[in-house]
Amino acid sequence: MDQIKGIAYQIAGDFGLAWAKFFAQVIIFIAVYAILKKYAFGPILGMREQRRQRIADGEAKLEKIARDAAEAKQNSQAIIDKAEADAARLVKEADDAAKALQERRQQDAVASANTIIAKAREAAQLEQEQLMSQLKREFGRMVSDATSRVTGKVLNTEDQTRINQETAAQVSA
Amino acid sequence: MSSLLTQQASFSPLLANVHSYASEFFKASSTLGFLTNSVLVALVVLSIVLWFSRKATKNMTLVPHKAQNFFEFIVEFLYGQVEGIVGKKLAPRTFPLLGTIFIYILVSNWFGLLPGVGTIGWGEGTGFLSVKEVHDPLLRPPTADLNMTFGLSISMFLVWFYITIREVGFWGFLVHTFGPKGGLKGLMGAVVAAVFLFVGVIEIFSIIFRPVTLSFRLFGNVLAGENVLHTMGDMGGFIGSILAPFPFYFMELLVGLLQAIVFTLLCAVYIQLSTTHDDHGHEEAHH
Repeated sequence: MDQIKGIAYQIAGDFGLAWAKFFAQVIIFIAVYAILKKYAFGPILGMREQRRQRIADGEAKLEKIARDAAEAKQNSQAIIDKAEADAARLVKEADDAAKALQERRQQDAVASANTIIAKAREAAQLEQEQLMSQLKREFGRMVSDATSRVTGKVLNTEDQTRINQETAAQVSA
Repeated sequence: MSSLLTQQASFSPLLANVHSYASEFFKASSTLGFLTNSVLVALVVLSIVLWFSRKATKNMTLVPHKAQNFFEFIVEFLYGQVEGIVGKKLAPRTFPLLGTIFIYILVSNWFGLLPGVGTIGWGEGTGFLSVKEVHDPLLRPPTADLNMTFGLSISMFLVWFYITIREVGFWGFLVHTFGPKGGLKGLMGAVVAAVFLFVGVIEIFSIIFRPVTLSFRLFGNVLAGENVLHTMGDMGGFIGSILAPFPFYFMELLVGLLQAIVFTLLCAVYIQLSTTHDDHGHEEAHH
């Protein structure tokens, strides 16, 4: 033990170890520690934290902006889609209405054409019938005249009626 | 301990005449006996750190100015390294100390490379303001003084012990150190427990010697660097004294940085080793 003690003293002597110098150095180190902690590490780590917080806030804001932009894009797309759907619906409705109107007009036109045709037919028929009766009468009269002139006989009403009927029958045939 | 100062002359450096101890400005028995050339440089380093940290953090803005940007780069780099080792939970608590250790050691190491450090001082006079050899330099890097490196190691050891006990508790520390791992039972379990008990004893010795290894590693590297630079500076006359040490300055720049990193990372690893185990236990318990 004494030998170890002796070696320790020898080493301490060789390297100039002394309590006063030792504590002086320790005190200076503590002073450096206090200075750095107060004036360097504290403020710099604080600034680092502040900067980190600011960056984190910036990132959060960027994310929010990106989210809002995506949401706005989604909203505008929805509005555009709705407008497109409305426009398509309106066009289709207009188209349908136009088609319906066209069909109705066409039907009306066909109906009026049919009416006109029917009326024309009726008028033609009537005119034909009038002409035919007039023709029959005229032809009957001419046949009666011719008969009376050929036979020299004055035809009575009964003869005339019979000749007219036969003539009308012959004409109709 | 101060009585042992008389034995200082018994140590002989291998290369140049760089003392293994710091030179005192006053008698050891006087009130200012603690004031050595390394303490003086430590005070200068303290002033530099104070000046630069004030300059860097005065009027801080979100868009940093030059000094702020530089200091922020260092602090953020260090914080990332510390956080990567000790974890997110302990990083805020341990970073100020580990960051201080790194910056203090780095500035001290590099301060030793400035012209005049170790070469201006007192010795056997040869003419006006010139000495044959500097026996007692005015300035000496604090890390080339065992008082400083040992003080740093002891401080770190105490902080390590405090953090460990606070994190895992005294019983947790004992279980972590001596407790058997693997969950074996029966005869094998007893054998394993005995092995781990033995490993725990070795671990305790390892822990006790940590301040010694930490302090002597740093001190030895810086003192060796001083020796190399002085030896090279003594070679080949005036031109040789400029050219010969030149490449070694770059090496010492690297060694200075490396030793600061090694000391800081080892401290961080020690903290991580003694606190992580219990964290896993808690996590498993939560799961």
